[in-house]
Amino acid sequence: MAERTQLTSISEDNFEQCLKCSICTVYCPVSAVTTAYPGPKQAGPDGERYRLKDPHYYDEALKLCLNCKRCEVACPSGVRVGDIIQKARMKHQGHGPKLRDMMLASTDLVGSMATLVAPIANFTVGLKPVKAVMHSVLGIDKHRTFPAYASTKFETWFRRHAQQEQGRFMRHVSYFHGCYVNYNYPQLGKDLVAVMNALGYGVHLLDKEKCCGVALIANGMYGQARRQAQTNIESMSTSVTRDRRPVITTSSTCTFTMRDEYEHVLGLDTAGVRDSLSLATRYIFNLIDEGKVRLAFRSDYKRHMAYHTACHMQRMGWAIYSIELLRLIPGLQLDVLESQCCGIAGTYGFKRENYETSQAIGSGLFAAVEQADPEVVVTDCETCKWQIEMSTGKRVMNPISVLAEALDLEATAALNK
Amino acid sequence: MRFHTVIVGGGLSGLVAGVTLARTGKRVAIVSSGQSSLHFNGGSLELLGALPDGTAVQRPLEAAASLPEEHPYAKIGVSRLPQLAADAAKLLATVGMPMQGDVSVNHYRLTPMGVAKPAWLTMGDYVTLERPDVLPWNNVLLVNVAGFMDFPVNFVAHGLREMGATVRVEELDVEPLAARRASATEMRAANLAKSLVSGSAVSRLASAINEVAGDNDEVVLMPAVLGLDDDHAVTMLRAQVSKPLHMVATLPPAVPGARLHTTLRHYFQMLGGTYLMGDTVQRGTFEGNRLTGVHTAKLADTVLQADNYVMAGGSFLSRGLMANYERVYEPVLDLDVTAPTDRAQWTRYGVFNQQPYMSFGVSVDRQFHALKGGEPLDNVYAVGSILGGHDPVKMGDGTGVAMLTALAVAQQIIDN
Ligand SMILES: Cc1cc2nc3c(=O)[nH]c(=O)nc-3n(C[C@H](O)[C@H](O)[C@H](O)COP(=O)(O)OP(=O)(O)OC[C@H]3O[C@@H](n4cnc5c(N)ncnc54)[C@H](O)[C@@H]3O)c2cc1C
Ligand code: SF4
Ligand code: SF4
Repeated sequence: MAERTQLTSISEDNFEQCLKCSICTVYCPVSAVTTAYPGPKQAGPDGERYRLKDPHYYDEALKLCLNCKRCEVACPSGVRVGDIIQKARMKHQGHGPKLRDMMLASTDLVGSMATLVAPIANFTVGLKPVKAVMHSVLGIDKHRTFPAYASTKFETWFRRHAQQEQGRFMRHVSYFHGCYVNYNYPQLGKDLVAVMNALGYGVHLLDKEKCCGVALIANGMYGQARRQAQTNIESMSTSVTRDRRPVITTSSTCTFTMRDEYEHVLGLDTAGVRDSLSLATRYIFNLIDEGKVRLAFRSDYKRHMAYHTACHMQRMGWAIYSIELLRLIPGLQLDVLESQCCGIAGTYGFKRENYETSQAIGSGLFAAVEQADPEVVVTDCETCKWQIEMSTGKRVMNPISVLAEALDLEATAALNK
Repeated sequence: MRFHTVIVGGGLSGLVAGVTLARTGKRVAIVSSGQSSLHFNGGSLELLGALPDGTAVQRPLEAAASLPEEHPYAKIGVSRLPQLAADAAKLLATVGMPMQGDVSVNHYRLTPMGVAKPAWLTMGDYVTLERPDVLPWNNVLLVNVAGFMDFPVNFVAHGLREMGATVRVEELDVEPLAARRASATEMRAANLAKSLVSGSAVSRLASAINEVAGDNDEVVLMPAVLGLDDDHAVTMLRAQVSKPLHMVATLPPAVPGARLHTTLRHYFQMLGGTYLMGDTVQRGTFEGNRLTGVHTAKLADTVLQADNYVMAGGSFLSRGLMANYERVYEPVLDLDVTAPTDRAQWTRYGVFNQQPYMSFGVSVDRQFHALKGGEPLDNVYAVGSILGGHDPVKMGDGTGVAMLTALAVAQQIIDN
């Protein structure tokens, strides 16, 4: 008997472990504000029992899931509720993506085109008539401001101004910069290079970097997501095995997507790279913790900031690294805000039909920001940055940029020679 | 990453230990796989409701003297219980959860099934009774939200009538709660509470209650669907309803327990404590009888190191204890567990009978050092429902054991 007894769960996503305790339903930001969504338990493990019997039980309302994974964080039984929902969408979703969804999802393609014509693109997407057309024809909400496109891509800047010097360092990392740094905000990439160089690390681009695919997954473009993921896994694998360079990032969402969604949702094998792929704040914290690097801070730095834990940061369990790193800065008064969803969830909040839900979800966070009244909100996620900047008027920074600002880079470089 | 104390499990016991230590300025981390069993709690804490043989307890501190030596209260020492119980009540008041109740004599709470059960402390807005069979009112208005199924209103009405009251039941069909009916699966206490935060929503509910309240009704009882984060909404509502108003616990997930959890966690974080939600401690490394570090699923190669470790992972439901067809075990450190090897002795026929597995748990010495291979570990303690020797369901002592063992251990760590 004992040989034939199943001693552990063998189901995907710990589906069988669901005890039906309903705790996840208390923490879903979507069902908190709208009745159109069936909630994590019903959309996830409960609905899955029916879908396994007959796909007709698939409910199109599952597209309202933000994929924030806050249900998974809350579940005491380790059920991957959000993954069950994403996979159900992948398997059963009726129609292909709309033009709008394809545009929002194709961050690489649209980004490349827009950088070429950045001043025009920034100008036109900001125009009222253009916004009106986007709102009514494309369904991109008119309240949204598109993040501005930079006129020079990060990669271009890096090749021109930074690449050559990287060889002089003893230790090296690769940097997965992501679309946002490349097309919209190269300054964050420059900050990362400055900080890592000061710590004595050379920074390198991957052989080939594609958009991580988070928006493709969210918008149902799974084939393309898988192709891009494979390219990234190969490039990262080359970096790790051939060049002996771990890969660091500055976006919590790209990191989460590549570490977890590639395997859990797209079914790809990431075993060779997963442990070597880390958010820069985590990488740097561990270097400090292990006594491998030392930091020297500017003595005149004085700021009041508030840290916002992005959903995927919460899911990865890594907010502690960014927070502990920021706490090292002597002149920084840091408030840690209650971890809650800002409502944007990547491209979700850009869609006209989601705008109100998106803002209602974020209202708790906006109120908390207002109450803390910091000079700057710090977060590891770029889409949270857009949402918080639009909704609270506060400036939002990535922890790496804060570090770049607070460090005495020359003194730090001297310490880590 | 270094801490003074790392606590494995962020339920009632882990949080109480965490708050107590963090208040003295210690650097404390709590790791919690998920939310805790407080989400099943209807707003009352219990010290001791019955003895192992089923005898009902009226005076818990006195009755504790007759508990068997394996019971956590006996390990703490009966003479220390009054002070610890007072400390527990004080701690709750400090974090912003003042409770009603007198430690020397049990009062009674009302369950969602309409049954009176012994309790030690109950949140201010909830029904408390002096006796299990008599109500302080003759005429009760029991209101429910139309379409809300986590409140079996007929059971509650029946229970109240058994206690001699005349009960009128009214259903409220009021916005914004009515709109919630569009999603039957999500029409739950916590979601209703999220719709009942603004002054206007609460006022609408208050007028709806006032409309159905008759001259004869002495009191209004309603399901606990307000106050998920704090007591503002409940206070507003009580001020606007024309009759005395009390909450009755709903089926889980329960608003009052979730609020107790959030309130304790906020306070812990406000003291500078680190709360890692959604991560699981998987294993530890030992040097002799000392635990030198623990590893979590998400922090991977970042080891959590501390002088002291408190195991507060709860019982089977929370996975502090686990069982398969072969054995009952503690999954993180493989601590000694009191359970017979013969599986037939784990359970007893009849689901409502006293079940042996309910009192399985991690073996500890008199200072709550956890045992491993028969030896107490120097710096590892166990608190809360991961402990054996008691049965929270049959003895009504779960939350009391969680708070008192956590306080006793935290105190001991501070004194060392
Ligand atoms: C369904 C139910 C109903 C109950 N009803 C009552 C009642 O009415 N009255 C009463 O007095 N008592 C009741 N109890 C008992 C009472 O809730 C508990 O005794 C008390 O709250 C236990 O608190 P705890 O902190 O010890 O454990 P829990 O509340 O179980 O918390 C343990 C926490 O540890 C986490 N955890 C476990 N393993 C790990 C790990 N390896 N790493 C990180 N985290 C981990 C879990 O996710 C969980 O959050 C009930 C219990 C249950 C399960
Ligand atoms: S998924 Fe987890 S939290 Fe949700 S009902 Fe199942 S066990 Fe409970
Ligand atoms: S992933 Fe987020 S939005 Fe989706 S069900 Fe879970 S909690 Fe709700």
